[in-house]
Amino acid sequence: MERGLTTRKIVIAGVLGAVAILLGVTRLGFIPVPTAAGNATIMHVPAIIGGVMQGPFVGLVIGLIFGVSSFLDATIPLFKDPLVAILPRLFIGVTAYLSYISLRRINEYAAIGVAGFVGAFTNTLLVLTMAVIRGYIAPGVAVTIAVTNGIPEAIVSVIITLAVVVAWKKLDHSGNKKSKISGEM
Amino acid sequence: MREIASFEFELTRNITIGQYLPTGSLIHRMDPRIKLLAFTILVIAMAICDTYVGNIIALAFACYLFYMSRIPISYGLSGVKPAVPFILILAVLQLLFYSEIASGGTVFVDYGFILITSDSVRLVIVSALRFIEIIFLSSVLTLSTSTTQITHGIESLLRPLKHVKFPVHEFALIITIAIRFVPTFAMEMEKMMKAQASRGAEFGTGAWWRIIQRTKDVFPIIIPLFNVAMARAEDLVLAMESRCYTPGSERSIYTKYKAQNMDYMALLFCVLFTVLLLAFPFPY
Repeated sequence: MERGLTTRKIVIAGVLGAVAILLGVTRLGFIPVPTAAGNATIMHVPAIIGGVMQGPFVGLVIGLIFGVSSFLDATIPLFKDPLVAILPRLFIGVTAYLSYISLRRINEYAAIGVAGFVGAFTNTLLVLTMAVIRGYIAPGVAVTIAVTNGIPEAIVSVIITLAVVVAWKKLDHSGNKKSKISGEM
Repeated sequence: MREIASFEFELTRNITIGQYLPTGSLIHRMDPRIKLLAFTILVIAMAICDTYVGNIIALAFACYLFYMSRIPISYGLSGVKPAVPFILILAVLQLLFYSEIASGGTVFVDYGFILITSDSVRLVIVSALRFIEIIFLSSVLTLSTSTTQITHGIESLLRPLKHVKFPVHEFALIITIAIRFVPTFAMEMEKMMKAQASRGAEFGTGAWWRIIQRTKDVFPIIIPLFNVAMARAEDLVLAMESRCYTPGSERSIYTKYKAQNMDYMALLFCVLFTVLLLAFPFPY
């Protein structure tokens, strides 16, 4: 992978940021789970995918876009607090990236799947920790939410991350050519 | 079979991003850099302030901003309306199960596991007020500032970070691309939903407790959406590079902002307001 920002990193961060915003505003990014924290979400998946494909900076920026859009768009008071909505989201792409590169040598597909899981888990864990610290929910409720929302989120995130990243890596063979200047992934 | 209303497929209608109401008021004409700065300061103030009086003053101020920017307050209220059930549910939960953390103050009710104190009541009311304040504030910001102004504003505000090697211009470009592509992808998604529905797929029609079924229903939309996004991204990369776009090189700017005295006064006012909100010992 090339050092620094390439055109591809900039564009992919922007485009996946757009997907994150879109999933939020159309409500398609929500899985209806009836709990206190509202619905489970798959809006963190763009950040994971960005982190896996283009490195920690891209993951961080998409996480930031996701955080800010969920902050501006929130219908739950919990997410109208920038410390809960934005700060924890910055780490999603970063942890996903770290778990991907540490496992890539063993098995590419397993690494992508684990990255999807770790990213989703990071989101659940940090957001709930922040929510407890800031005093929006009690620790007991937080554990319940971690189970009812966190598990479906993690499963869905693994499936989507695998499907999308594998498809993207094969984009070259399906007739669509990638630009070669930004360097191969 | 349930009839599907046609609006379920019109995703573009729900998107309020980039909604801009040009009334030409004082707030519209403010320097976007100063406006963003003032907005950030006020949001932080509102997020920290935890007194009744302080929050009521902040709410009054947020309402006054609507008047000042000549934006109908109904725009702000339409943001609050869908949230009312959530606010109520959360309020009840906070009230009943919050005793572990906010146990101080006078005890009102102490019945088994239910412990309602003046601290937990304060928590509920203040977080609801805080929520409304921030919705109002962010609606005023987005309705009075075009997306171009916002991205330019962010870019020039972050410029000092260039000294620590933070890619400010690239960051602004990422945000511009993100905002630019939201409507495009909304249209793509609409097309995909219609294509899938015409082949007999159903969206959001399963019973709400069949969580797994409803989750599975979303996959045929979400995964193609990502793939379309990635293909678009590759096209854009190719287009930019064939026009010799080089990340990190110096660029000149088309629009230059110059802050007026008025802007500095507004900023000063916001800082003073924040100091008042946080430092003044309100009795309640």
